[in-house]
Amino acid sequence: MHSHETFHLRGAPFSPLLAKELWEVLAGRAFWTMLLLMCPLIGYSFFQAVSLYGESSAAVLQSPAMASALSPLDGVLVPTLGASYVAITLLFPFVAIRVLGQEKESGALRLLIQLPYRSSTLIVAKLVAVLVALLLSSIPAASALAVWRMLGGHLSAPETLNLLLGHLLYGLLVGAIALFAASVSESAATAAIVTLAFTIGSWVLDFTVAGHPGLLEWIARLSLTQVLRTFEQGLLSASLVVGIAATIGGFAALATIWLPPGVRFRKKLYCSVGSVLAVAVVLGLATQVRLAIDLTEDQRNSFAMADQTALAKLAEPLVVTVHLAPEDPRYADLQRNVLAKLERAMPNVSIRLADGRQNPRTNAGDDSYGEVEYAYGSRSDISRSSSPREILPLLYGLAGISSPAPASAGDFPGYPLVASGQVALFWFFCGLPVCIALAWWQSRRIPQTITMY
Amino acid sequence: MDGVFHLVPSQILFGAKSPVQAEPDRFSEQKPDQGLLRVDLINKQYAGEPVLADIAFEIRRGEIVGIIGPNGAGKTTLLEVLAGILPAEASDLQWLGRPLPASRRREAMFYLPDGVRPYQDQPVTRVLSFFAGVYRRSADEITGMVNAVGLTPVLHKRVHSLSKGYGRRLLLALGLLTPQPVLLMDEPFDGFDLRQVRDILQLLRNDAGKGRTLVLAIHQLMDAERVCDRFILLADGRIRGVGTLHDLRARTGNPIGNLEDMFLALT
Repeated sequence: MHSHETFHLRGAPFSPLLAKELWEVLAGRAFWTMLLLMCPLIGYSFFQAVSLYGESSAAVLQSPAMASALSPLDGVLVPTLGASYVAITLLFPFVAIRVLGQEKESGALRLLIQLPYRSSTLIVAKLVAVLVALLLSSIPAASALAVWRMLGGHLSAPETLNLLLGHLLYGLLVGAIALFAASVSESAATAAIVTLAFTIGSWVLDFTVAGHPGLLEWIARLSLTQVLRTFEQGLLSASLVVGIAATIGGFAALATIWLPPGVRFRKKLYCSVGSVLAVAVVLGLATQVRLAIDLTEDQRNSFAMADQTALAKLAEPLVVTVHLAPEDPRYADLQRNVLAKLERAMPNVSIRLADGRQNPRTNAGDDSYGEVEYAYGSRSDISRSSSPREILPLLYGLAGISSPAPASAGDFPGYPLVASGQVALFWFFCGLPVCIALAWWQSRRIPQTITMY
Repeated sequence: MDGVFHLVPSQILFGAKSPVQAEPDRFSEQKPDQGLLRVDLINKQYAGEPVLADIAFEIRRGEIVGIIGPNGAGKTTLLEVLAGILPAEASDLQWLGRPLPASRRREAMFYLPDGVRPYQDQPVTRVLSFFAGVYRRSADEITGMVNAVGLTPVLHKRVHSLSKGYGRRLLLALGLLTPQPVLLMDEPFDGFDLRQVRDILQLLRNDAGKGRTLVLAIHQLMDAERVCDRFILLADGRIRGVGTLHDLRARTGNPIGNLEDMFLALT
């Protein structure tokens, strides 16, 4: 018997919706095809990385002092997961778009939006399905790490998990962009073009405007590929994580706004502007969060422990004035070796370029070009060095304290490993694809009963 | 097998799992003297061209209303505006005497579009599971629905492999699983042969008999005349007549004419 009273939105179970989204993403050929393509892609990258690492390790065996230069993070993890990054950039959008695009094209969306769920709930369910697809697509990369361990390779849990977190956030960001694109586009093909405009457009930004000063530098920071750089360096930056999470949330909010077809265009536009402004505020606040943890085993992003402790106690503002052009390689050295570490170690550091328009060629005759002025309290000093060995004593001198005694903690030993990745090739080109194909076949089996939720 | 409704035991459909049944939340007061749904004004334009103009009518509880008109008359647009899935310049509706904004239409109505084949890669069982799960339908209700609509032979087929008729049956089953008091259906008989149309007509009659209100957009006048209690005649985006066949005959002065005669006379 049907009542004439309305059916209330509250109380509709989430599990059927989530199950539907998971079945939809797993039923698509795009997901399984991507998974199969990732096997040789990641496998060959892993094979090459292990081979090069093995060659370097063989050289180190002749000269053990160089062993500390061998880190699995740089030698194996980053290049192997770099192949995963390429696949996520180029292939994963098609998987994520399908989560919504298929329903738009078949007309099922007109049924879906009438179900007793809010638009935000529908998008959350789809985002969860995208996350599950992302986790499943990490199987080839995870198996590469397992093979590395079986070969006797070393993995540092903090830096490995940090790198995996970076790739997970990057994948979710691509997925959220794809959902937004599918939400605003009438067809999956258009949504794919919109999404690839973001992902491949980031590569274009990297190639064309990165390294340029001023506005171009700011634009280059919008590149999605910047998301991974910090994680690949072994840093866990709170501002970056908050920023990525806010951006994912922003794209999900935009997808929610543009999902229901019954809302007028102008209202959607106003809501979108509001969401973008809200995300911009969060991103602005996130840049003020300075917490960044160096998770690398060799602590490459930090000074020695004794220096870190001493610098943390310098409470007065340190003002660094750099007389270098941003594109000058010396500035990049100074930034990497000293300035970035100082910003993380000291509570109050501000860095400014003396003149953003300086050019290493045109300023060749300028005597001050190349100088870096350090002002701490009422005292200041000048140096042209980009080495912490010279800068840190200078800072201690400005602060009126003596240089701390070096700690007795052992140096990073390095993890050389002479191994061959040949065995991995069989796994990635044969074993794993067969397992994935079997899983695909299993997922195609039709249930014989209706599932009751 | 088209046209034959099959009975299937519930344990075959659901295995050993016990069904879950829940009543939907209810909140509004019922006022017996009022119509269920009153459309005060609907205006809709596409690119400045009016496709629906000055639409106003009332729907009473438990009746089957046919929106009748030729292709391009605006039937589908009217249903989509009613359901709140298409924005309109004016869309003022009253539900039991209270305004019903577009954002809350889905609480009162469910709209079955024409030509939709949802979740094509999924088997029929999974699509039914989804809708049954959303509305907490019991195993018995789903079994009854599958038998009534005649979906048994294709339960384990994927949606994309269904014939047009079975695709329509699946859509009909989904609509009948929904609990909203008003079901809007666009061309519900399209894709069915004569025998199937009779079966579906009976099914819709039974649903209306249980208190549900059905609004059907139909361009086949014979089908409409057989199933609908009242008619809304639509042409060029405007209402040309509203009422029972008797009302329309009285209005046109043709006491023995059929719906086709009425439609031609009024449009």
